[in-house]
Amino acid sequence: MKKPRVAFFDFASCEGCQLQIADLEEEILDLINIVDVVSFREVMKEHSDDYDIAIIEGSIMRPIDEGRLKEIRENAKILVALGACATIGGINKIRNQWTPSEVKKEVYGNYNLKGNDFFDVFQTKAVDEVVKVDYNIHGCPINRDEFKKVITSIAMGKNPEIPNYPVCVECKKNENICLFELGKFCLGPITRAGCNSICPTNGSPCDGCRGILKKPEVECINDILERYNLDYEEMKRRCNIYNYGKEVCK
Amino acid sequence: MKQEIKTISQNEMGIFVNKLIQNDHYEVVGVKSKGERFVFDELEDANELRLDYDVTILPPKKYFLPQYEKLMDFDLKKNFDVKTKFDNKPRIIIGVHPYDIVALTQTDRVYLDDQKDDFYKKRRENTIIIGIDIQKVSERSFSASLGTHITDTGFDLMLTNLGNKYAITIGSQKGKLLLNQNASTDEATDDEIKKIAKIHIELPSKYKKKLKVTDENELSSLLVANYENALWEERSDRCLECSSCTMVCPTCYCYDVKDEVSLNLEDGTRLRTWDGCLLRDFTKVGSGEVFRDEIKDRYRHRFFRKGNYLTQRYGFIACVGCGRCSTACLPDIADPCDVINELHSFGGKGNKDKFFLKQQIDFLEKGTIHVPRKATITRIEKLTDSETLYEIELDDKKPLGHKPGQFVELSLFGIGEAPFGISTGPSQNSKFELVVRKVGNLTSKLATLKVGDSVGIRGPLGNGFDVKSLEGKHLLFVSGGTGIIPMRSLIEYCLDKKNRDKFKYIKILYGAKRPCEVLFQKEINEWEKCLDVSCRLTVDTCSGGECWVGSVGLITTLFPKLKVERIDPKNTIAIVIGPPVMYKFVIKCLQTLGVPEKNILVSLERRMKCGVGKCGHCQINGIYVCREGPVFNYADIKGLPEAFE
Ligand code: SF4
Ligand code: SF4
Ligand code: SF4
Ligand code: FES
Repeated sequence: MKKPRVAFFDFASCEGCQLQIADLEEEILDLINIVDVVSFREVMKEHSDDYDIAIIEGSIMRPIDEGRLKEIRENAKILVALGACATIGGINKIRNQWTPSEVKKEVYGNYNLKGNDFFDVFQTKAVDEVVKVDYNIHGCPINRDEFKKVITSIAMGKNPEIPNYPVCVECKKNENICLFELGKFCLGPITRAGCNSICPTNGSPCDGCRGILKKPEVECINDILERYNLDYEEMKRRCNIYNYGKEVCK
Repeated sequence: MKQEIKTISQNEMGIFVNKLIQNDHYEVVGVKSKGERFVFDELEDANELRLDYDVTILPPKKYFLPQYEKLMDFDLKKNFDVKTKFDNKPRIIIGVHPYDIVALTQTDRVYLDDQKDDFYKKRRENTIIIGIDIQKVSERSFSASLGTHITDTGFDLMLTNLGNKYAITIGSQKGKLLLNQNASTDEATDDEIKKIAKIHIELPSKYKKKLKVTDENELSSLLVANYENALWEERSDRCLECSSCTMVCPTCYCYDVKDEVSLNLEDGTRLRTWDGCLLRDFTKVGSGEVFRDEIKDRYRHRFFRKGNYLTQRYGFIACVGCGRCSTACLPDIADPCDVINELHSFGGKGNKDKFFLKQQIDFLEKGTIHVPRKATITRIEKLTDSETLYEIELDDKKPLGHKPGQFVELSLFGIGEAPFGISTGPSQNSKFELVVRKVGNLTSKLATLKVGDSVGIRGPLGNGFDVKSLEGKHLLFVSGGTGIIPMRSLIEYCLDKKNRDKFKYIKILYGAKRPCEVLFQKEINEWEKCLDVSCRLTVDTCSGGECWVGSVGLITTLFPKLKVERIDPKNTIAIVIGPPVMYKFVIKCLQTLGVPEKNILVSLERRMKCGVGKCGHCQINGIYVCREGPVFNYADIKGLPEAFE
């Protein structure tokens, strides 16, 4: 069997997710045994446009990004969105509360940027708002085990199983004290699992970086806020970190 | 039965526990604090033990059915290489409350039944349980109402705190031996024994929560009467679908099985992990259909399982009142005590066994459950664009030994398992056939295999057709879509020269979507040549250019013709297999023809995962499709609201 050729691409992001992969250490050898990495800026200089699997990190913020992404989609048989910026827009979407011109004014003042494509921005988009995404590897940063699972699945010709259930499932299996009981607002009940509840296990509430699964009924939210004596504004703030613009957060 | 009771001083107790901890033979776990809550965890010193706890976050089920459990390892470099993993570590659990002990004895009924789970059994046998009578009642617990606040069985040793010392009730030889070898004890005096009794009697008064219905029959019937109550929807509107309520429950034991492969694509593990019936994907089958799609139905299912389905099956209420679910449920809608008391206010008496079916089961899987046998693909034939036939032979060359209508679980290591109805009739031949439609991971992978490749087979599983009951009758086969695949096993059986005389005329109705999707055309031509056999085919649509001589229209369009042929409905058995949507309409047609309900047999599809009545995925109300089905008599299950939605 020919090894699939894999290329990594980055858009608006901190490249932390790619770093997670570069950090696979010895396992990186296993990885290059099952796939040919033809482009990966974090670890190599070479680049090729002949690839089967494109792995996209980052959000789409500019018309020039959009063009580039569409080209990648044309070239790739399988397109994978890597990390929250790519899968849901993530923290880059916080910017969407302002218009592009407000943002530019705030950052660059009155400096004249007209005609410069690099500074021509629109409202932040997740990758699937521009092109079809075959598989998402969620998280900020991604979970390395999940990355391995997705890659091995693709290499074996099966669809990776990404959980459709919330973080609480994993959190319960890890026997954590629920953070609500400690007076903290956690997004675990409505956030997609797959991170092995890493944040709650370490005492921080879930911020929803793997995307929101469900919009709870208002009565449900009210009951919970009342039962645990929590604040609506705090909940909204937490929802907006990674999921700005999602209905549940409004 | 009079139990032997000893006493031990607080100090000696600590020495006893430390002695156990220092004994390398055992892993010793006990109740420890975790922040303000408590957990069962490995003990390093007796001082860590918190026998005054109220309730632990997770019940001790995690030591018998771990959150993630490796069932077997496989090596993909080799053709078929699988090693079963058993956990043989002797373990002592200290500080188990009576309700959790009762929960374990309930789980035993399921996991150590006629198709016992060896993984569970090994752990059960290797574990010594040292219980403790409840000293502090958990806020949300109502175990006293269910009588599970105390127990006189299910433990090896049971401690009761008498203040300056512990009383130790001996529950087993194992427990007695452990105590004799590791502790110095005294005989309990009559006064001390009376003191234990007093503690037991006074305990219920410490509970804030009380159930208004505690009799299992009354609860079962109350639930049935209120199946359609608006309360299910009102409460489940606030449900987060997180299934925390099932994860923390000592009597919830449903699971999922998955394959994981390491990054070298060479070795992997088949893993069992907790699943929950409140999660939407719980009932999702390969084709994407979800059988309990509405949260209201999933929410209700949990309560029915606790108070009706398992109650009818095993005779106990499958809730021990620990209150863990109530604490874990953020919107606080999961508390069985609240729900049952609310139902009580509505009242009502229903037919308590309405959702359950007592049925003899055909086949009990031999060997270790979940471990497939090695088999080889001996022939592959592409039948249509999406369906392929696989002829398979078990490597031990023994016949599969199935009945028509049974199924097997086919396994590809690294990918997983999926159920398939067996498509050939029973025979002495060691080969059998499956017809597979490409819909998911397993079937896509199967499509890449060649003759000579190995697969894993479990089964035959489930209840097939009771062929004796068909003898002397006219048979009317009605199949839609892929329903013809398992149907063929029965048709072949009936048309077999050895058996043909046993049945009267045979009529076969078969509907496919389009002409190109018709399966077994060759076989159908052969069947038609037999004496007293007629086949009628129809397709939903036939585009221009396709050659088709049968009818066009849904399967129901074939029925008026039967009327003209004047069949003898009272002496006809109708066998119906098709997609879920088909049943309602076909059954109506059969009733119009005058075929009595008890003469209608159906075979139902659900998500079959374990195939042996454990994992919970295939449930239709109180029945397991993998155990009592997939073949059912329509009259038996028509009252099940989840059967033909
Ligand atoms: S801490 Fe968060 S993820 Fe964990 S159970 Fe509580 S709400 Fe769910
Ligand atoms: S714990 Fe509560 S919210 Fe979560 S699934 Fe159960 S009933 Fe629904
Ligand atoms: S249903 Fe709730 S109260 Fe009953 S045993 Fe399960 S967790 Fe405990
Ligand atoms: S209970 Fe597991 S498939 Fe039926």
